Amino acid sequence: MLDRKVKIKEIRDLGAGNHLLVITSPEQARLVRPGQFVMLKCVEDTGGNPLLRRPFTIFNIHRNARSGKPAGLELLVKEAGAGTRRLVMARPGQVLDCLGPQGQGFHLPPDLSSRVATACLVAGGVGIAPLLLLAESLLALRIRPILFYGGATAADLVLRESFERLGIDIIYCTEDASHGERGLVTGPLEQFLRIHPRKDTRLYACGPWGMMRGVHELAVGYELQCEVSLEARMGCGLGACLGCVVASEASEGRSYPLVCQDGPVMNSRLVRWDIAPI
Amino acid sequence: MKPTSTDKAPLRGPRLGVEIAGVRFKNPVLTASGTFGYGLEFAPYLDLNAIGGIVVKGLSMKPIAGNPPPRVYETASGMLNAIGWQNIGAAAFVAEKLPGLANYDTRVIVNIVGFELDEYLEVARFLNDCPGVHALELNISCPNVGKGGFHFNKDPRDTHKITAEVRRASPRLPLWVKLSPNVTDIREFARAAEEAGADALSVINTLVGMAIDVHSRRPRLRFRTGGLSGPAIKPVALRMVWEACQAVRIPVIGIGGIATAEDALEFLIAGARAVQVGTANFYEPAVSERIALGLGEYCRAHRIDDIHEIIGSLRDYE
Ligand SMILES: Cc1cc2nc3c(=O)[nH]c(=O)nc-3n(C[C@H](O)[C@H](O)[C@H](O)COP(=O)(O)OP(=O)(O)OC[C@H]3O[C@@H](n4cnc5c(N)ncnc54)[C@H](O)[C@@H]3O)c2cc1C
Ligand SMILES: Cc1cc2nc3c(=O)[nH]c(=O)nc-3n(C[C@H](O)[C@H](O)[C@H](O)COP(=O)(O)O)c2cc1C
Ligand code: FES
Repeated sequence: MLDRKVKIKEIRDLGAGNHLLVITSPEQARLVRPGQFVMLKCVEDTGGNPLLRRPFTIFNIHRNARSGKPAGLELLVKEAGAGTRRLVMARPGQVLDCLGPQGQGFHLPPDLSSRVATACLVAGGVGIAPLLLLAESLLALRIRPILFYGGATAADLVLRESFERLGIDIIYCTEDASHGERGLVTGPLEQFLRIHPRKDTRLYACGPWGMMRGVHELAVGYELQCEVSLEARMGCGLGACLGCVVASEASEGRSYPLVCQDGPVMNSRLVRWDIAPI
Repeated sequence: MKPTSTDKAPLRGPRLGVEIAGVRFKNPVLTASGTFGYGLEFAPYLDLNAIGGIVVKGLSMKPIAGNPPPRVYETASGMLNAIGWQNIGAAAFVAEKLPGLANYDTRVIVNIVGFELDEYLEVARFLNDCPGVHALELNISCPNVGKGGFHFNKDPRDTHKITAEVRRASPRLPLWVKLSPNVTDIREFARAAEEAGADALSVINTLVGMAIDVHSRRPRLRFRTGGLSGPAIKPVALRMVWEACQAVRIPVIGIGGIATAEDALEFLIAGARAVQVGTANFYEPAVSERIALGLGEYCRAHRIDDIHEIIGSLRDYE
């Protein structure tokens, strides 16, 4: 909703190509709802490489150490290509163009706890980004979050301490068993759902397409509601280019909702999982 | 660049207004179809009153779902898109968007699309009676749909035919014809449109391109090919605008890779009466307002009273 020039306060290397980018922007920080994102670009980059801004989920609201008031945004940026590399190579003090907060976050009505007792939060790699603010909001609504956090290897399980600090149950998974259980994160999730067959459980997933699809299929199998935080290539992040669509199960014919406006968080049953948007 | 030889500084601000087919624009900076939504999406980011006009997303009579994703991909200084004419339909536009646009003092141009000639005529007829629409822009140059549109830009005779028919279907509205760069000689198409009654030409639409993911060996876009836009296409666009300006007497509106006031000035000097800003809106939502302000600053710095002193002022080497 706001387009602002913001300063980088800090960039922390988290290893394995992951960085925590802290930007100063109290105005934008005050507006954030869990699951929303910003579009970022270095102001100096006017030469066209990269040309477009890149979308990043708001991991956390950075708070003033003394007053506790929202002072900025914390973003988790994983190096994927030229655009993300450019951002993580930036230095504190450098100025970014920052558009946001954008999009629809998680559906968190005040009476959610009348229907939901347990929330299974499922993350693959940087898919962890939207889940911290979600976990905090769920706790505030007196809903119990359980985090299923998977990655290829231990180094991909970044920012664990932010969740451990909340005192919630966490199940870690790595494909090489370097941390937690071996295998994909959908394994322990299914085990949990089998042992606790309760209708007041809700699933929330963010990560690679295949992982989210797996979580969606479990939701269908166990007749649970599931919200996914989707990714798509974005031209603008504000609803103008119609580039960021995901194919949807519409009642009649095709329909292509915009990830930047109708999402990024969507009910998993609205998504056509046979058409990956990236 | 040499300042022009006016002795006195202009008393008021420089005059930036231009006229295209009887419609006044407060300045020659417009936004390009498909890159500015239906206009209102950008209201939070810039003063819509500060730009000359808004060309809205291509509209058909019935809503179109568009192509399955992925639809966009960034390339060197540009991007490929294959949106596939997704739009809400002309009736929904008029009911839901046009009233909001009427609150702004800017011009609204509607870009129209269709798969068959009849569909173009239907939407042109419908919009002809809609107050608040100031001109039509006939999109016969979109490369991103299986059939339609594009084939009216393969042969100048087809361009002539569709222009003449849409002209008749919508007698009230000025008709701009948007030309494709994916032709050998754009001048033939420019002349065909002029002869058939076009009031202005929009030059250019996107260049057909492609990108491949070497790991999966799949095209980056599900549609396989897409339209290239952004700074990468500016030199090509500028050359084609200049060529079109030589070929016709009707106004030409320059489009392609414009991101700064200097870019816009190049097109004006080449002969364009106005410009449209496209892809740059995506990464700088307020860019069109900044360009309009930049034109004013340029005129003041060069003691130019009226933007018409710049339009078509290209000089030759001695
Ligand atoms: C709503 C949303 C939220 C996101 N949140 C985060 C986040 O919190 N942290 C984070 O590290 N990344 C996030 N991403 C992904 C991030 O935007 C991309 O990794 C980034 O745009 C890649 O840019 P690049 O120039 O570095 O890579 P490119 O050179 O463009 O591409 C490198 C690789 O990244 C993939 N990619 C490109 N664009 C996207 C995209 N929009 N989404 C997913 N993959 C993409 C490409 O397919 C390719 O494999 C998010 C994406 C979306 C849509
Ligand atoms: C995502 C996208 C969608 C577009 N949709 C349309 C459209 O609906 N109708 C049209 O005539 N041109 C459309 N265009 C073309 C632009 O209006 C413009 O002609 C082209 O992008 C070149 O200008 P630019 O380099 O400034 O973007 C679209 C371009 C982009 C990038
Ligand atoms: S990113 Fe442009 S419409 Fe969503």
